[in-house]
Amino acid sequence: MIRLVVDPLTRVEGHGRVELQLRDGKLVDVTVRLLEAPRLFEALVVGRRCDEVPDLISRICAICSATHKVTALQAIENAMAVKIPPLAAAYRELLLLGGHIQSHALHLFCLILPDLYGTPDIIELLRQKVPLAQAGLDLKAFGNRIQKIAGGRVIHPVNPVFGGIAYQPGHDELEKLAKELLCWQRDWPDFSARLLQLDNYPEASPVIGTAVATGLQDEFALTGDCLWYGNDNVIAASDYAQLFAERPRPDTHAKDATGKAGPFLTGALARDRLATGRNISRNALADHHGIHGNNLAQVKEVGWALHRVGQLLETLLRASRSEPLRTDLAQMQGGIGTAAMEAPRGLLLHHYVIDEWGTIVAADIVTPTALNQRVIAAQIMADLTDEKDHARLREVAERIVRAYDPCISCAVHLVTVENPSSLSDYQ
Amino acid sequence: MKFVPPIKLAWLRFTSCSGCQLTLLNNEDSLAELAHVVELHNFPLLSSACGNAEALDVALVEGSLTSPGEVERLLAIRRKSRLLVAVGACALTGGVNAMVKGERHKAMVSIYGKAGAEWDTFPPQPIHHFVKVDGQIPGCPPEPHELLQAIAAILHGGWPSHQVMPVCMECRINENRCLLEEDCAPCLGPITQAGCDALCPGLGVPCEGCRGVVPEANRDELYRLFITAGLSEQEIRHRLERFGAAL
Ligand code: SF4
Ligand code: SF4
Repeated sequence: MIRLVVDPLTRVEGHGRVELQLRDGKLVDVTVRLLEAPRLFEALVVGRRCDEVPDLISRICAICSATHKVTALQAIENAMAVKIPPLAAAYRELLLLGGHIQSHALHLFCLILPDLYGTPDIIELLRQKVPLAQAGLDLKAFGNRIQKIAGGRVIHPVNPVFGGIAYQPGHDELEKLAKELLCWQRDWPDFSARLLQLDNYPEASPVIGTAVATGLQDEFALTGDCLWYGNDNVIAASDYAQLFAERPRPDTHAKDATGKAGPFLTGALARDRLATGRNISRNALADHHGIHGNNLAQVKEVGWALHRVGQLLETLLRASRSEPLRTDLAQMQGGIGTAAMEAPRGLLLHHYVIDEWGTIVAADIVTPTALNQRVIAAQIMADLTDEKDHARLREVAERIVRAYDPCISCAVHLVTVENPSSLSDYQ
Repeated sequence: MKFVPPIKLAWLRFTSCSGCQLTLLNNEDSLAELAHVVELHNFPLLSSACGNAEALDVALVEGSLTSPGEVERLLAIRRKSRLLVAVGACALTGGVNAMVKGERHKAMVSIYGKAGAEWDTFPPQPIHHFVKVDGQIPGCPPEPHELLQAIAAILHGGWPSHQVMPVCMECRINENRCLLEEDCAPCLGPITQAGCDALCPGLGVPCEGCRGVVPEANRDELYRLFITAGLSEQEIRHRLERFGAAL
């Protein structure tokens, strides 16, 4: 028996490890471990006032900080039946789209592109003056500029607040953004075509897992009240716990989705598969490279995000400066609220139980990477059953994990805290 | 101490959200230039090259320490680095990680089940509790240019100078509306180290104190102001706790 260990996984967010077991030279078992250190966010939010929680929760993960913050707010607002003003909703969506573009650009250009050129990192590509590398960074910068303007800060944005947003960005800033967007919309078809031509992906078998996503109403959006999975099954987002049935597992620090409909696949490729018939057309190319098609689906999605940013900017530029930004609540209320969001790397759910003084008594967070945990291991097994070469086994296993665009910081912060009495002395 | 470029650089991450290293990568316009003056030796998020250099010029350290294994890694890197720089609130004070108080063991078990009981961890500690720190960059996260400035200054044998003053002073300079006086908002500007150009109050959002407490901060006075503004004792404590400003 031989054990090959890839630790740490590089060019992925967070600390993870893959273990490959070989018997008589043949791959017989794969374990994916998500090994982030404990930060105990769950203990931290219970007993706090709910309007403070989104600021803390965004610190779970930087790449998805905007998504975490907005999802937390949405869940808490749902719990108290607070409806935020349309202008606030539009700015929050703009912020999320900026985050989407930033995150996809980071993944495609900083983490994946080096594999396509066979270099250890984008720094080397920049030294060699590979044009796609700098262009990709420029796209990432554009996503960040959207986040900066809509959110006030690129990482851990400050504009989204309980009930809406804190301030309306300047008109001139939006105009500058709109101008820059025109250039991106003009250049994107050619730019993305050059990226899609690079198809230096390992040989892959069909993608494993039941695709699941939210936001698939008539028009595709980043958030929604329902979850779609498999062949057109739909359930209410608030029933997520039945679908996923997450349980702790001893060998990894993230919970495991044991639901019967699984194992689940979430992310750009899952969205692409489920989007048939919605206004985001399918990316047929994404079917050719197995799970590496997730990268191609992300390319496609950047185009959609640019388009959607354009629509929003048009509305926002016309909005009056005196429209309300925030719904005030005379008094805190109790309630139970869930919000489902498509984070760049897949489905994210926040769920809170709040008492009548506005204090959090229970919290549950389901993250995309924890959902994908099972299929990642299964996919490595399927793609590499016939591979004998050790170096190649390590390399391709790492590339498969990378293709899911995992975010391990997020994945290990998701355990339900349902027994507040056992935690009350931590506050 | 002068360096001849390229400098050998490593990024160490402990218990954190990765926001500080992403902040470095958010300098998209400067990475190409950076590529010519640094050589990456350990930066798992950015690079697959894990050079096993015997000596490093600069180690940038993000996150707080929560386990003996992390301490070992920190000591090993300190031994071979000429300069070690702590980046961000997690590394400087423990950051939001350090907010969890009380018996850690119990929290571990209630969150991670049985596996939590066997996990060898301790409450989040800042880097300077274990090793000598040559430079500090505050913020949660820091401003992107602060990281570039630090690397540039190191290349020239120095360290960026900064003024010791509270965020409030930057608000005065920028003629921002005072949120504490006018809105009775829980703004921590009076006791927080400046350097962000009063980013949040400038946008109408109260400062949460992410750059840490300024030396000689008058906490008693701020406490009195908050009580007068109508905040409860618990609200004040929770607010101050976020970035280690609680007494
Ligand atoms: S200081 Fe803030 S941004 Fe930096 S790693 Fe810690 S939580 Fe993240
Ligand atoms: S204003 Fe306060 S919370 Fe905002 S960035 Fe500056 S120090 Fe941090």
